[in-house]
Amino acid sequence: MTLTRGPVLAVLALAVVALCVYPAFGTGYGVRSTLQIFMWIALAGSWNLISGLTGYVSFGHVAFFGIGAYAGAILITAAGWSWPIAALGGGVAACVLALVIGYPCLRLKGPYFAISMLGLNEVLRALVSYFEGLTGGGNGLSLPTLDATRSIYYVMGALAVAVTAVTYLIITSRFGLRLMTIREDEIAAEAMGIDTFRHKLVAFLISALGPGIAGALTARDQGYIEPISVFPLAITVTMIVMVLFGGKGTVWGPVLGAIALFVIQEIVWARYPYVHPLLFGAIIVAVVLAMPRGVLGLLQLKYRLPRTI
Amino acid sequence: MIAQVLISGVLSGALYAMVALGLALIYGVMRVINIAHGPLLMLGAYTTYFLYSRAGMNPFLTVPVAMAVLFVVGLLLQRTLVFRVVDAPELSSLLLTFGISIALVNLAQLAFTSDLRAVEFITGAWVVGGLALSKPRFIAFLFAAAVTTLAFLFLKFTRLGKAIRATSQSREVALVCGINVARIHLLTFGLASALAAGGGALLAVIVAIQPEMGGVWTFKSFLVIVLGGAGNYPGALFGGLLLGLVEQLASLFLTTQLSEVVAYLLLVVVLIVRPTGLLGGRST
Repeated sequence: MTLTRGPVLAVLALAVVALCVYPAFGTGYGVRSTLQIFMWIALAGSWNLISGLTGYVSFGHVAFFGIGAYAGAILITAAGWSWPIAALGGGVAACVLALVIGYPCLRLKGPYFAISMLGLNEVLRALVSYFEGLTGGGNGLSLPTLDATRSIYYVMGALAVAVTAVTYLIITSRFGLRLMTIREDEIAAEAMGIDTFRHKLVAFLISALGPGIAGALTARDQGYIEPISVFPLAITVTMIVMVLFGGKGTVWGPVLGAIALFVIQEIVWARYPYVHPLLFGAIIVAVVLAMPRGVLGLLQLKYRLPRTI
Repeated sequence: MIAQVLISGVLSGALYAMVALGLALIYGVMRVINIAHGPLLMLGAYTTYFLYSRAGMNPFLTVPVAMAVLFVVGLLLQRTLVFRVVDAPELSSLLLTFGISIALVNLAQLAFTSDLRAVEFITGAWVVGGLALSKPRFIAFLFAAAVTTLAFLFLKFTRLGKAIRATSQSREVALVCGINVARIHLLTFGLASALAAGGGALLAVIVAIQPEMGGVWTFKSFLVIVLGGAGNYPGALFGGLLLGLVEQLASLFLTTQLSEVVAYLLLVVVLIVRPTGLLGGRST
């Protein structure tokens, strides 16, 4: 069975229309959950851009989410920006952080980047607590009351679509091919004349933008942020699990993984809150060893789907 | 004041060196960065806590027991999971050990809860010539120095130690010389876990124990390796002492809160200026 383009596009268009009109009918819980799924698609898709495509594992992607949340919240409360502009500000702040970390760490091969990202989270948490005047420290930061959940629903949805579309554009471009060459054999990539440092850095900057915006949007939506709510390791773990489960290095893998794991999490694991992070660890181990290309990889093999999805 | 900082720095530096040596061994021999190194340290700390609180053992005497227990845990991890990714791309080994680390931390949370535990065995300080020498930290330092020395003697003079060093220099040549490389990998992982556990057991006497205590130790151990130069085992000693000193200086001149930020900046600066380590070492 091979898929043709027409029906796929039709189904996608139908899904978009359905999601656009959903807030008019859906319950508050339903809209909120869908908003969360959008957020996870954007986060997982962004992690996939650096780690799935170049093979450079980011163990601290939540740092971009957190700095986006704080930048957005500060721009709204202290500078009085409206939230859509502040969300972009959150994205920019995340990109700046990515530049600062990526510049020294991506020049090197090997595990330097992975470990630097592992430590980044703690550092940001310490900095946020230290600059109490600006961030409220451990007391957190409250935003002015505003019910914008419905508007944020659409913006977050657009973000999820944008991250997925950018992934498609990259994977089907020469830029994406070069990134994947770096993943398969970096020395060979260099020998072919690819400026690997610049490619990795650009991919990393793009992958920081989405989480930064998502963080600012989440801050606005929840109206209150504190260091432990926007810098938890659990967010990074969830991104990684979603991408690995769905299929890393693919366009639809992160989408599939985000939806599947979010639904499973809500229905089943919410009843056993302590077991579920343990299962996440087990899923990572199992996927790495048993199905490195994830669920989508299995489907691609079975149904001869194109490699570029 | 400076002398006090120097002493505190050296005292914690020895612990860093001991724990980091384990991570350095695994990286040198297998080219695997073990993200689960910190959680293994945490398990060592719990071993000491339970032997102390349930069996009433002297916590310093539990160090060899914790090391032996975690040696076995390390063997099992290597034998069942880690050996599968030794030759795989880095992505696989990083993610696999990351998954193991998440699983270990959450297992500990289920089994031991996230309550803070403390081993209050010895407190207070000796005052020597105006300088305070924290008793638990000083004894822990002696133990760490002894274990690290033993580990270096083992690597330097025994046949197995030489086989480990040979394997880390060139796996192929080691294989040709008749070294059973798979067994060396197994032994190395066990040994590294034991070193982490020893660090955890000593740490149990100094700080509070909880399931997430290990995370920062994976990072710090790696920082120590980078400072000393990857693949350069004595470099771990130098890196450990340097990190200890820098952290103490940072908490003297800034605040304790920022000492982790300073450690992180140290990593970034070294990666920019001398990625092969301050002492030199195998290039990346």
